[in-house]
Amino acid sequence: MTSYVGEVVESSTRRFIARSKNIGESPCFGCFVKTDSNPVVYGVVYEIITESKEPGRRPETYGMSLKELKQAQPQIFELLKTEFHVLTIAYLEKERVVFSLPPIPPTIHSFVYECTREEVKELTSEDFFLRIIISSPNIPVDELIISAIRYSQEARGNDTDYLIRIGKSLARLFKDDYERLSSVLRRVI
Amino acid sequence: MLNFSLLKSQINSMIREKKEHEERFLKKLGIALKELNLKAESWDELSRKVNLSKTSWLVADFFEPLNRSYPLPLCPPDYKVFASDGSQIFPDRNEALPCYLINIGSVFLQYGADARAKLSSFPSFFYKDEDRFIPWDGRKVPADATVISEKRTLMEFKEVLRLVEECKNRENSVALFDGTLILWRLEGTPEDFKNEIIKPFINVLERLRTFRVPIAGYISFPSSTDVINALRVALCPDRVSYCNQCPYTDLPELPCASIEEVTDRVLFSRVLNPGERSVVFKSSSKILDYYGEHCVHFFYLNVGEEIVRIEVPRWVVEDRGLLELVHSVVFDQARKGGGYPVSLSEAHEQAVVRAKDREFFFELIREALVRSGFKVTVSRKGMSKRGPRI
Repeated sequence: MTSYVGEVVESSTRRFIARSKNIGESPCFGCFVKTDSNPVVYGVVYEIITESKEPGRRPETYGMSLKELKQAQPQIFELLKTEFHVLTIAYLEKERVVFSLPPIPPTIHSFVYECTREEVKELTSEDFFLRIIISSPNIPVDELIISAIRYSQEARGNDTDYLIRIGKSLARLFKDDYERLSSVLRRVI
Repeated sequence: MLNFSLLKSQINSMIREKKEHEERFLKKLGIALKELNLKAESWDELSRKVNLSKTSWLVADFFEPLNRSYPLPLCPPDYKVFASDGSQIFPDRNEALPCYLINIGSVFLQYGADARAKLSSFPSFFYKDEDRFIPWDGRKVPADATVISEKRTLMEFKEVLRLVEECKNRENSVALFDGTLILWRLEGTPEDFKNEIIKPFINVLERLRTFRVPIAGYISFPSSTDVINALRVALCPDRVSYCNQCPYTDLPELPCASIEEVTDRVLFSRVLNPGERSVVFKSSSKILDYYGEHCVHFFYLNVGEEIVRIEVPRWVVEDRGLLELVHSVVFDQARKGGGYPVSLSEAHEQAVVRAKDREFFFELIREALVRSGFKVTVSRKGMSKRGPRI
C-alpha cells in the first residue's frame, strides 16, 4: 500500500478532517480518499487549509522567499498545520461499496489514503457521489462537482460514453437550472 | 468585580504625578551620564573604591572604562540555539489532591544550510511525598510557590543541558535562558534547600563549560541598578563609602541620591547604539559566593527595540570567542523575533499552561480518582468558584 496522506483529527458522520504529514501538502481538491478505519470510509476532499496550530496565533509576513525563510526562521514550519476536509460519500461493507453514510464515522487518528484508479472508477460508476455533493451545505458545490468529475474521467482515461451519462445525471439533478448546468458542463469538458 | 469608574480617577492622578516626576528624572539621568563619562578614565580607581566600600545595594564591578561600547560582531550564519522555559500549576488546597505540575518547554533552532527546528514540551506531575515536602532547615515542609518556582528554574536549566547533550556538533552554539542566572531568591533560604538547587545548577553550568557552549540569561526591560549604584559610590564624597556610617544623613539630600531612581537600562539607552554592548560588569550578589568560577557577569545590549541585560558565567567572559558569539547570536535572535529572542518566545509558547489547562488538569485528576473508586472531596470554596450562584 502507498503511504498515507493524512491522519483523521476530527470526525463526524457526514465529514471528517485529516492533518497532512507535511505543511502545504494534501490530496488535491476534488480528489477521492479513503480511511483505514473499520468500516473503510470514502470521501471527496472539499477544503484544504494551512494555518497556525495555535488558535490565537497568525502567520506574519517576512518578505523572504520560501528557501530564505526556511534558513532564517526554521521554527515557523513547526507551528503550522495543513488539514484537508473530506465529504463522506460511501463506505465499505463486506467488500462492497455502499453509497450511503457509514454507520459510524472514521476513527480519530486513522490514516487517510488516496483512492486507487479502480476505487475511483467504482465510486463514480453511479451518480450517487454527485447527489451527495449537491445536497451538502457550506461547500463549493459546483466547483467540487467539476473537480470530482475530472478525477473520475482521468481514472477512466477519458471515456466519452461515461461523460455523456454523467452529463445526463447532472441535467436531472440540476432540474430546470439551465444556466448552472451549462456553466458546470462547459468546465468539465 | 472591578469598579472601573472609581479606578479611572486614580489612574488620572497617577498620570499627573508622573508628569511632575519626569522633569526631575531627566535631570538625574543627566547627572548619571556626566558621572559615567567623568569616571571613564579613572575607572580603576573607582573599581578599587567599589571593592572597599560597604553599601546596602548591589554594586557592579568592572575591568575597563565604564562608558566603552563594543560594536556588533559578525554572526555565524549556521549557529544553533538551545532554549527552555517553564510554567507550573501550583498546589490548590481546595482541590481533591495535593499535587502540582511543572511544564517545561524547549526549543532547538539551527540556522543556515541545514536549518531545522525542534519544539517540544513535557509535563511532570508531582504528587509523591518526597516531591510535596522538601528539606527546609532540617525539617520537611510542604513545597510552596517559592520552592516550586526554584525547582522549575532548575528543571529549565537541566532541559537546556539535555538539548545540548543530544546535539552532536556543538560548534557555534548558544544556550539561552529567559531571566537571570543569579538565583538570588535562594539567599534567604536554609543551607539544605539551597544545596538541593544550587549544586545541580552548578553542575549544569560545569557541563556546558566542558562542551564549550556558552549560556546566557536574557533579561528584557531590566530594572537593575548595579552600574548606577557604582556611580552612586563615585558620587559619595568619602574616600571609601560605608553606608551604615554615612556622615551626610543631616543634609536635605544625600550626595549619592542625586541619581537615585535612574536604572542601568535608561542610562545605557543613552550610551549604546543598536547592536552595541556595554563593557562586562561583575555582579556583587551574595548568592554568587556559591558559584565559584561560574560567577555571573553581565553586560547591556541594545537589541534595537530596547536595552536588555545579558548575564553569562565568568568562563564565557574569559573566552573572547564565546563572548562575541553570545553578543552576535543574542542580537540576531532578538532581531528574528521582532525585539525578543525568537527561541525564548517559542520556548514560552511551548511551556505555557493556560487557565483552562489548569482547570482541565484538576478535572482529569478528579475523574481518574472517581473512576478508580476513590472518594473525592473538594472544598466548598472550590465548588463555589466553579459555579457561583446568584
